[in-house]
Amino acid sequence: MAIPKITSGPPIPQPRISRRTFLKGSAATAVAIGVATLPLACAAVEKPVPGTSNNRLPKGKVIDCHAHLTHRSRTTWEADDRKLIEAADKLGIDQLCCSILTPRRPATAEGFQECNRWTADGIRRFPDRVLGYCYVNPGYGREALEEIRRCVVDRGFIGIKLYNEYTCTEPVVFPIVELAIELGVPILQHASHSHYFVDDQPRMSDGGHLAELSRRYPKAMLICAHISGGGDWEWTIKVLRHAPNVLLDTSGSVTDEGTVEMAAAVVGVDRLVFGCDSSMTAGVGKIRGANLSAQDKQKILSGNMTRLLRRGKL
Amino acid sequence: MIVDVNAYLGHFAFRLLRHNTAASLLALMDSKQIDKAVVSSASAITYRNAQAGNEEVVEEVRGHGDRLIPFAVINPFYAGWQDDLKICHEEFGMTGLRLYPKWHNYQLSSPCCRELVNAATERGMVISIPIRVEDNRQRSWLLNVPDVPLEEIVELVKAHPKGRFILLNGIGYTGCPLGRKDNGLPSNYAIELSRLSAVLANELGQLIANLGAERVMFGTGMPFNYPDPALVKLEVLDASEADKEKIRSQNAMTWLRL
Repeated sequence: MAIPKITSGPPIPQPRISRRTFLKGSAATAVAIGVATLPLACAAVEKPVPGTSNNRLPKGKVIDCHAHLTHRSRTTWEADDRKLIEAADKLGIDQLCCSILTPRRPATAEGFQECNRWTADGIRRFPDRVLGYCYVNPGYGREALEEIRRCVVDRGFIGIKLYNEYTCTEPVVFPIVELAIELGVPILQHASHSHYFVDDQPRMSDGGHLAELSRRYPKAMLICAHISGGGDWEWTIKVLRHAPNVLLDTSGSVTDEGTVEMAAAVVGVDRLVFGCDSSMTAGVGKIRGANLSAQDKQKILSGNMTRLLRRGKL
Repeated sequence: MIVDVNAYLGHFAFRLLRHNTAASLLALMDSKQIDKAVVSSASAITYRNAQAGNEEVVEEVRGHGDRLIPFAVINPFYAGWQDDLKICHEEFGMTGLRLYPKWHNYQLSSPCCRELVNAATERGMVISIPIRVEDNRQRSWLLNVPDVPLEEIVELVKAHPKGRFILLNGIGYTGCPLGRKDNGLPSNYAIELSRLSAVLANELGQLIANLGAERVMFGTGMPFNYPDPALVKLEVLDASEADKEKIRSQNAMTWLRL
């Protein structure tokens, strides 16, 4: 298996930094990676505290590109949503791009419309913290398209969330992609690639499907969800190498060492977007631990997602 | 002081591991200020003769005994395991085991495994059990190794009250007796935190509340995993500094008699 070399040597010992809201603080990362050009303010180091991850991240905005608010069939939904924001506070995450999925799929039109109303309410309840993805089942055709227009145009949602009702290369999905292009919003596509048939998700998309879709729609802004929780991440990264309009979301519960570095080496750091998908410490820890420059980490943490969202507005 | 009870050396059959020599793992530990780590052979997970992996590990940690604490991988269904256990303990100075019942295809309740656990316990060895090696969704097309069901661990700790078990790479303890308060089980097991949530569901906090901070240990799973997620958990955990210190190092130091 040919995997690009992604380190030039062992990591360099670093001073420990104590601040809890570590994503917003100084960047000892720069010490580890030998970046000598950071502003002085970013190199401040406090008294070490044991048991901290000392690969601090650069100061800058942090956007979780893959988050979920809680479906209201769960009685604790309100407290759960608050916990999400509290966790984001603890971890220094400024904004969360959220959708709500129906508990059972395929979603009905009423089901996804209800979810999106709740997401809109979440945007109101947590202003400037929650951004919305409009979740639809493409099988509902006109109703799905109308829902996307309502969410993006009237409610200010920033993107579209597609799950596993259809593989993203099925023709039923194409009008959704065409509308996303028209409205200038990205599509976050649930994806996974396992080397076995996933019985409970027979129409699961994978990176290969997204690459195929990107060739059909080179102007679409596509995000391949959770490379670290979507099966064989090495396969996914490699299959997306030549799909320049597909970004890779780093979310997922898997914390395999080297994932972020390989993705950066193969597809380029400009195509990686930070996410958690509810695995919050895993999401943050992976970026902290990755052997990348502070500047590259900042691109992943928010720069690339910000660029994507701005691109849609041009 | 930070002691990682969940680290590895050597190669894994299905994925390239970096930082998997003593020198490179120590460099990674230095960069994270992790002082000591319990290591076992990643290769022994798939070697038929696991003892070859133990021999590799003992060579690799030579000269680093102050920081790398070698554990033996023993397969109780493989020929000569009694000799291997004796050599690992008496000659290699290994003070604990890592068991892989699913990868090595045996039951924790089988007589052979019971015999191994008894023999290790008599020697005062700690027995650690990785509930999984890697996420099953990314498994190779060659095999399908399930996680160790926690129910099987429940029976194991009940059957060996004098044993000392450290459960690695697990999750969902609060959904079974292992993680519940007043569960009637012996206090002979500790739970390592690398896969536990520390926010949202916060299983880590629940375990501390239910079992006490004395029963939770710090571990990373490096070099399979980035060590940082485990470090971040400790950072965001709502617990007293005294409890965090237990988790960070004190519990492991006590169990490992360091």
